[in-house]
Parts: sequence; structure tokens; C-alpha cells
Amino acid sequence: MLTKFFRNLRSDSSGVLLACLFVALAPSLMAQKAGTGILAGRVTDASGGVVGNAAVTAMSVETRQTQSVATGPDGTYKFDGLPPGNYRLKFEAAGFKTVEIPSVTVTATGTAVLDEKLEVSEKISGDQTTGAPTPPQQENLPNAPSSSVSPPSLSDLGLTPEQTQGNPREQALLDKRTHMLKIHQRMGLITTIPLVATVILGPGAGGKSEGTATRDLHVALGSLTGDLYGITAYYAIRAPRIPGTKKRGPIKFHEAMAWIHGPGMILTPILGAMAFSQKNNGEKVHGIAQAHGPVAIVTAGAFGAALLSVSVKF
Amino acid sequence: MNIRSLAACLLLAFPPLAPAADSQWVLGQNSLTYHVSHPLHESEGVSHAARGKGVCHAGQCDFLIAVAVKSFDSGDSNRDLHMVQVTRGAEFPLVMVRTRLPESAAASVTVNADLEIQFAGQTVQYKQVPFKLETHGGETRITGTIPATLSDFKIDPPSLLTLPVKNEIPVRVDMTWRPQ
Repeated sequence: MLTKFFRNLRSDSSGVLLACLFVALAPSLMAQKAGTGILAGRVTDASGGVVGNAAVTAMSVETRQTQSVATGPDGTYKFDGLPPGNYRLKFEAAGFKTVEIPSVTVTATGTAVLDEKLEVSEKISGDQTTGAPTPPQQENLPNAPSSSVSPPSLSDLGLTPEQTQGNPREQALLDKRTHMLKIHQRMGLITTIPLVATVILGPGAGGKSEGTATRDLHVALGSLTGDLYGITAYYAIRAPRIPGTKKRGPIKFHEAMAWIHGPGMILTPILGAMAFSQKNNGEKVHGIAQAHGPVAIVTAGAFGAALLSVSVKF
Repeated sequence: MNIRSLAACLLLAFPPLAPAADSQWVLGQNSLTYHVSHPLHESEGVSHAARGKGVCHAGQCDFLIAVAVKSFDSGDSNRDLHMVQVTRGAEFPLVMVRTRLPESAAASVTVNADLEIQFAGQTVQYKQVPFKLETHGGETRITGTIPATLSDFKIDPPSLLTLPVKNEIPVRVDMTWRPQ
């Protein structure tokens, strides 16, 4: 057949050009592009009738690149030369509900077949308004049998009603807990700024320095740190506890550190006030007030460790 | 011996000649692992608590797999509670997966499954998800990854230190099914 084709082509000059084109394009025409896949299928309506001229858009989940094709008169569509990966597909046709398929996997070795059925009626929401499970959309599953055999249900799995029913009250508790811990987290981050500044100014505020400006700034920043820390701690302490939860992982270390920086945050300003008073009286800091600096360092260290323990995986 | 008695004896003696009953599959050992990526963290949560059943008829098998959202363990109770909260796991306590496969798929090395997943109050379909199958001693082990994303289920990406996690939360599946 090919021999006949080429023999006919030799009959005129345009045939030579066609032959060249055929030779040049043959590999790509005859074979799937190396390392790419094919996604194809047929779009039908609820009754099984073909839907022509439907827009099918494939967006790569990884690269966000999109490609579109239209279905033919027989309802079929085909994406050729798709890089392997996961694609989000959208089916659009006039008079039909738009359907989006979150993920279709295309491999380099085969043809992914995805037939889609479009519905004319109003979109049926997939939202679950109650904890009760919704029935499966059997008509959208492939090869739907016409048998009367029931597909398995939750009761077949031996699940108790307590395991299958939602608990809005517990969800509300979790929502409140998360809300409060988010504030705790943000306030903790904000507290870090004046805390670090206070520690940096510490050596200039006491010791050999006789000036009061740095000391006053140190006191002001320390007070701000204490106030912010109090708010931060409040949101952690008052966040609801979830019954039946056993603490595991970094949160245990995070809370252990609180037993160091918590008392430290109380003790540090007390010792600082004593040191401040002694300095203002022209005295050298003495007695227990001398522990202000070391206690502040330990407190700040424990605070930083607590922050890092839930932020960076070690 | 009348004809009826003879027929009963034949059925007892040659059970394969009787009409084949619908076969069923039950989920045995299983491991479902979600992966979450954050600029500061890579974390995974694992559950071994899924339950599943498959009912086969007329060459097709309907499978249902359910797993409690709370059963996923990332090794950090605080993170797990956040996960349950953000996925509304107390309100919708189960992840349910339904699929239909040809009965002949059990003899295949790979299978592309159309999955219908109910999670976080949403129902989402994933088409043509590839899985590998291994059969040993009558049990079939299925492994693969479901390319799930947070946005599919309308879940706001949780954030840590104001940085949100990535949208992709692939779920690795490792399940062993045995005939019931």
C-alpha cells in the first residue's frame, strides 16, 4: 500500500514535497511522543447520548499549564503528548453542568481513558450537611452494573454509630482551641521581638553603665515583653483541652519549657526591679538582684527553645 | 431415590456445579499515609485502622473503605488535633473511599481505579489512579498513591509561623485484601 502511495507521489512535483513531509513527520504522526502520555475519552449526557463540541481542559497539577480540546461529533476527545503527571480536568458544554475532575493520572506508557457523563440538571452539591454519609454516585463509577446486589455499606464494616456520626460540639471545641492557639502562636512570635531587644540591652542597662537612658529603655522593653508574654500565655492556658487526647511529640517539650520560662518571666522583672532600685540609689547591684541577668538569659533561652520545638523539625 | 433427592445429592457432591455465590473481600492489614509539606516541616500521618469490604457480582466488585480521621498519627498530638480541626474531623469523622473494579483486576499487576472519596464534608472523584497489585497466598496487596489536595476538599491550608502548608497532600495506600 505504501509502495503504491509513493509510486503515485512520483507522478508530479508536489508529490515529492508531500513525500518529504511524510518522512519528516511520520515518527510523530505514527507514534506517541517519547516520554509523554495520552488522555482520551468520551463525553456523554445522562442518557448515554454523545455530547459534541464540549470543551475539555486539562491543567497540570504540577506545572499549572493548561491544554484544551473539543469533543468531536461522536463525543470523543483526545490529548496527545501530555507530559506524565496528574491533571485536573474540566468538562464544559452548553446546557450542561460543568464537571471538574480533581486529578487524572497520565503515564508515559499508556493511554488514560476518562469517560465523563454530563448532567443537564442543577448541580448536586457534594457537601455533606450532616454527619451521615451520602450514597455513592454509582452512575459516575465505571461499568455500573444493573444488578440489584447492594454495594457494601458502613454497617458492613462493623462501625458503631458513635464512630460514624459527627460531633458538632467537639468540632466547635476544636475550632475554639485552634483559634486560641493561633493567637498564642502569633503573640509568641511578636513577644520574641521585645524579648530579644531587652536581652541585648541588658549589659548596657546595668553593670558598669551609669547612664539611665539605656536602663529606662531596657525597663520599658522588659515591661512590654512581660505584658505580651502574659497575653501569649493566657491563650495557651485557656485553650480548651480535648478529652481523651494523650500528648505526644514536640508539644511535650514545648510545654516542659513553659515550666522554665513561665516562672522565669515572673522572677525576672522582680529581680530587675530590685536591681533597678539599687542602681537608682547609686548602689552596686547586690544580693539576690544579681541573679536578674542569669535568670533572664535562662528564661529567654527556654522561650526560644519552646518556640523552635514546635517550629522546626529536629 | 427420586429425582429431587438425586439432584440434592449431586449438588452436595459437586458444589462447583451449583450457581456461584457472590464473592466478597475483606480488608486486612493496611496503612494509609498522608504527607504534608511546609517550608519548615515535612510531616506524615499514618493510620492502620481502615476497614474495608468488597462485594463482587456479575464480574464487578464494589469496594468501600472507611477510616477514622482521628486514627491518623503523625507522632505529634498537637499536629494531629490541628489536622482533625482543619479537616472538620469531629463533624465528619470518617474518610470513605468507594470504587468499582472488575473482578478480573485481582489477577492484574496494575489497575487504574476511579475513586470516590468522602472527606471533610466533601465528595470528590479521582479518576484513573494507578495502583500496583501483588497476590500472595490468596491475599492481594494493593499499593499506590492518591494525588489528593487540600483544595479538592475545600480545606484551608493550615499555617505554621504564618507560612501555609502546600496544597498537595498525597496519600500513600498499602492495603492487603483477602477473600471472605
